[in-house]
Amino acid sequence: MKLKVLIGALVWTLLVSVAHVHLNYGFDQVREIVREWLGYKRKTLEVGFIPVT
Amino acid sequence: MTTHSETGSVFASRKFSEFATIKESLIARRMDASFILAPLAMQLVASGVPIKIVYLGHRDGTTLMVAKDSPVTDFAGLRGKKIAIPNRFSNQNVLMHRMMKKWGMSFDSIKLVELPPPEHPTALASGSIDGYIVGEPFPAQAELDGIGRPLYFTKDMWPGFISCVLVVRQELIDEQRELVQELVDGIAKSGKWLDEALEHRMDAAEIVGKHFYFQDPELLKFVLSKPPDRVKYTSLAPLKKDFDEIMELAVEMGVLKERLEFEQYVDTSFVAPLETLDWGFESLPQPTAEAPAK
Repeated sequence: MKLKVLIGALVWTLLVSVAHVHLNYGFDQVREIVREWLGYKRKTLEVGFIPVT
Repeated sequence: MTTHSETGSVFASRKFSEFATIKESLIARRMDASFILAPLAMQLVASGVPIKIVYLGHRDGTTLMVAKDSPVTDFAGLRGKKIAIPNRFSNQNVLMHRMMKKWGMSFDSIKLVELPPPEHPTALASGSIDGYIVGEPFPAQAELDGIGRPLYFTKDMWPGFISCVLVVRQELIDEQRELVQELVDGIAKSGKWLDEALEHRMDAAEIVGKHFYFQDPELLKFVLSKPPDRVKYTSLAPLKKDFDEIMELAVEMGVLKERLEFEQYVDTSFVAPLETLDWGFESLPQPTAEAPAK
């Protein structure tokens, strides 16, 4: 019985955590955070423009 | 819409309202890449700024406008009139002089005044100028507001007209060549997609109007479709014959003091043959059978 409660609590916590990440951050942002932890940095380039052809 | 390219690089656009600030940002290296006017790029190189033109932004897309009730019907009618240009170092300025030569007019027969592009329609409406020549969508804006009418599109005056070019600082080419290549490839792919179907242009107008230009998407849809060849996004490789002509005219007009060799201000090494590019179009929205290109 105790094991069932423990597993149930863990599954519930996991589901709530996944839902929280999805709703408040989005998986793209989480992926970015993980990539930064792993030392990968995106190359960035700022490009200027005037809204005219 | 994604926040990064297929390979993960982030290209962030930075909006300016006039070219002087872009110029300063490039000189001070607060920014390594930008779309600027072709003769302005030449002038910056002539004054020692280490930049190179690596690609074009588009072809055509500029219109010579006059007031809606103006009696002017052809270029000769502009004699003695006051016409706004976006900048002294713009190809619109070069084009006006090219047209004056073609029509046998002296260079002082039309009074050209510099005005930031967004101010052109209001200046025409107030009567402080008789017309203007600038990149879209500012001509279309006057057309839709009922205050101006096109006298000529560039496709009818100088087919394949070059206005803005992509310049990058030499340090960026030397240090992050692959990033410049990715940017150029991305522009080439976007251009091909834009010119493939009118439906693509309408989709682009929605996204660009709302998220980048902060302009009415309906205005951009008008620009991209009335007529469809008002502006083109293919054939964007910088060609020597085009730039040699601009250089010759700019020197003749006195806009540039010295003649530069094409190789001094253009780097063509990023232009890949279109057939060698991995287009990746399958990941983009495709025209549907139910909604054919309008």
